[in-house]
Amino acid sequence: MMRRGLIGFPLVLLALAALAVFQDTLGVSLYYITVLATLFFWVAQATSWNILSGYSGYFSFGQGAFVGVGVYTTAVLTSKHDWNFFLTLPVAAVLSTLLALGIGAVAFRVGAFRGATFALLTLAVPFILASVARLTSAIDGGQGVSVPVPELPEPLGFQQFLYLVMLVIAIVAVAAAYAIQHSRFGWALAAIRDNEDVAEALGVATFRWKMLAIAVTGAIGGVAGSAWALQFGFVQVEVIFGLTVPLLVIVMSVLGGRTYWLGPVLGATVIVLVEDRLAGGGYESWRPIIFGGLLALMVIFAPEGLWAQLRARPLLTGAVGAATLLVVFVAGIGDVLDRIVLTMLVTGVAAFWPLRLLPARLRRSAAAPPTPVADAPASEPASPEPKAEVVDALATDVAVSKSGQDAPLAIECRGLARHYGGVRALDGLDLQIRQGELVGLIGPNGSGKTTLVNLLSGAVRPTRGSIHVAGRDVTRLAPHAINHAGVARTYQIPRPFESMTLHDNVAMAIMFGRKPDSLARARERATEYLAFVGLKQHAASRPADINLHQRQLLEMARALATDPKVLFLDESLAGLNPAEIDNAVEVVRRIHTSGVTIVIVEHLLRVVNLLAERVIVLNRGRLLADGDTQTVMRDPAVVDVYLGKSGRTVPANDAGGEHA
Amino acid sequence: MSIAQALITGAMLGGMYAMMAVGLSVSWGMLRVINLAHFGLILLGAYGTYQLATSWSINPIVTIVITAPLMFLLGAALQWIYDRTGLTEFTSLLVSFGVLIIIVQLVHNVWTADFRRIDPAVNTYGTKSWFVGSFVFPYPRLIAFVFGVVVIVGAWVLLQRTFVGRALRAFAEDRDMAAAYGIHHRRLGMLLAGASGATAAIAGMLWAMSFTLVPDAPFEWIGIVFAVVILGGIGQVLGTLAAGLLVGALYNLAAVLWEATASLLVVFVAIVLALLLRPEGLFVRRAGSGRRRFWARRGRAGQPESSPEREVTAR
Repeated sequence: MMRRGLIGFPLVLLALAALAVFQDTLGVSLYYITVLATLFFWVAQATSWNILSGYSGYFSFGQGAFVGVGVYTTAVLTSKHDWNFFLTLPVAAVLSTLLALGIGAVAFRVGAFRGATFALLTLAVPFILASVARLTSAIDGGQGVSVPVPELPEPLGFQQFLYLVMLVIAIVAVAAAYAIQHSRFGWALAAIRDNEDVAEALGVATFRWKMLAIAVTGAIGGVAGSAWALQFGFVQVEVIFGLTVPLLVIVMSVLGGRTYWLGPVLGATVIVLVEDRLAGGGYESWRPIIFGGLLALMVIFAPEGLWAQLRARPLLTGAVGAATLLVVFVAGIGDVLDRIVLTMLVTGVAAFWPLRLLPARLRRSAAAPPTPVADAPASEPASPEPKAEVVDALATDVAVSKSGQDAPLAIECRGLARHYGGVRALDGLDLQIRQGELVGLIGPNGSGKTTLVNLLSGAVRPTRGSIHVAGRDVTRLAPHAINHAGVARTYQIPRPFESMTLHDNVAMAIMFGRKPDSLARARERATEYLAFVGLKQHAASRPADINLHQRQLLEMARALATDPKVLFLDESLAGLNPAEIDNAVEVVRRIHTSGVTIVIVEHLLRVVNLLAERVIVLNRGRLLADGDTQTVMRDPAVVDVYLGKSGRTVPANDAGGEHA
Repeated sequence: MSIAQALITGAMLGGMYAMMAVGLSVSWGMLRVINLAHFGLILLGAYGTYQLATSWSINPIVTIVITAPLMFLLGAALQWIYDRTGLTEFTSLLVSFGVLIIIVQLVHNVWTADFRRIDPAVNTYGTKSWFVGSFVFPYPRLIAFVFGVVVIVGAWVLLQRTFVGRALRAFAEDRDMAAAYGIHHRRLGMLLAGASGATAAIAGMLWAMSFTLVPDAPFEWIGIVFAVVILGGIGQVLGTLAAGLLVGALYNLAAVLWEATASLLVVFVAIVLALLLRPEGLFVRRAGSGRRRFWARRGRAGQPESSPEREVTAR
């Protein structure tokens, strides 16, 4: 994939550059050069915005801030300090990157700044910068700044020069977006978009990736802004920091599609060309109405964007597009740009037209053949004898030891407590788990089981106490660092990355787990883990297409793929039927055999009896009992907690299979 | 005198910002819609007041008899769309941003970008002031303040005391549960959105009485009004009023002590700090361990973490 980009982008660059350099020979009118220069600017801006906001889902209204820093860096340095234009570009890049990192350092550090709150915060940033620029006479002082035309290389006119500068910036931006999408970086951002907490727990250093993404966004936004200053000639605070930039980049990316690198390019092309025709036709005052309406309609009816629609209906849109192009050229309507815009609009309508309004005959051929939805039986028995090499691959440096008293400690908690307000969810817990153990963790609802798992996986920080994993203090570490220390978990309600296939869900975990692997290797190895839990035949399905049991198996495969020393299974068997439970028990046993220490939180005492050698019982945030399974199950205190005092006559074993 | 006077004048102006913010805050907190189009309704209300006062020489305050019902209908209609299209909190932000852009441009096309001001002959309050000792209370500010306090406190009383108010609060806490107990969420949502629209009409009237009108005014309001919403605590009616007065005072103080254009900067820095230190709003009483919750939320490695409560509200 990457190699295709290495050849493709320079080729596109050369071809488009030739258009301006040999403009006279080719007979391209200067007007088209100007329109294309504008188009390249918006392609760069929309792509830049999309790297943070599209890929990672952190929607920003603050693109104008980066643009503004770029514009004013170039404007001030060239006009007031006689700098060379090209020297201002790196300065603009550095300044807008610093601004981006500043925003990120504030916003990404606090959990409250997610979703809408982040969007609103970024909405405020351009306004702050605008008032700073207006106040400071060294920048603008409310007067505006005129930007001198730089010295041009010999044969080029100003428009051609601007065209080439914008072209290079746009190609670099799109190439960056392409490279990011096809690397671990892009996968990390996609995981953050799907479910940030889960990504973090699977070893993705979310803070770092988000900072990197906003830095790239800032740098490209700033550099493109620099070139924009030239195009303006005279820059004013109101124009630069207004809402035009954010509105347009958002509309372009939403229209084109936010999750794919080509989406913003597509969206920018449509918007810029349509806008040019509207301005030419004297419909200037309708422009915001059209774009505002387009944004609202797209978000409501087609949030996936144009690219996804084109891919879903290649035949229909291709045929309609070609036919329109043919008709338009034969009929000779307008000039070249009119024809292109007309073709795009008709194709766009074909792409978004609701299929149910089509005649039935066309409907079938219009859509791409539907991907076969996995018609899954309730539970596939996992291949009973996993291949030896798979077990080898999974049996990591943790020696498969007898879980005797002498095995080294996997987990050690001292005085661990977590209070929510006045509620003591966990209140001073001392616990030791040795490597190679399979421990059951039980207790009534609200006894602190899930809190304990959240604490041990770093999702929640302890109020007091310490946690050691394999002798290392992880109490204050971020969840991804705890994952790298060798702890993985599953969620009671499965939380897969919904936009990825099962295969890619697992590949994500391999890529960012304890022993991070390259994208290519991770995708190769992902199948092993799916096979291990018996989901191999669903590798290409999406999480939405499989049943609860399979989703829970996926949780296990994904956790296992981070190569943990200790695995926490948080009620992984809840809501399953007896056959499914048997299968799950089998899988858990197999994971344990491969050398992973397991702590299984469970309500089903039958399962705990079947699996665990040792049981820990929590009650009201405190340790009630800890010992080998048979002894604990007969402990009167435990029986009291589970069955009430009157239940004491019932032997504990018979309580098996009942929901406690 | 200047500082005390600046604080008082600012706080009175804050009454108007609270008026602008309260509808936004309530629809965010209770309907889970971040309705940027609310600013469009305020703008329409302001131009409506201007037009009625200019064409028919109606007293500006009386114009709300006409504009408020219209904005009620428009607000309810928008809510019907948001509700029927199944928007989430976040997509509502985008959709209503589109609606806001449309409204601003329509105002632009109808009334042009020229500055508009109600004729002083009709707007008799425009130039008068009330003097108490050495303090000056300009009538338009005083009216804005009184309206802000009366309407917002009134809204709070209605939400606390009436059946509809209780139903709304139940609905805000848990939609599904409220629906299971027979609360008609669609009708309630439209009622609340309509009431928000009516407050937008009043806020627009207050703006038109004090200031010149331009179609781009909403973009100046967005920042400061969201500051009020967030500082007041999302969905907190009385908190919005208190935050409005505070932000207004701060805004005016910065303008007097420094420079007029600096006041926005000061307010935004204040809101960012407030978001960092008290993300749930300044006037919300916290449960339990108070400060520790904030520090607990940011670890040394700087990772935002999930706590179960947050995830529930996020959904």
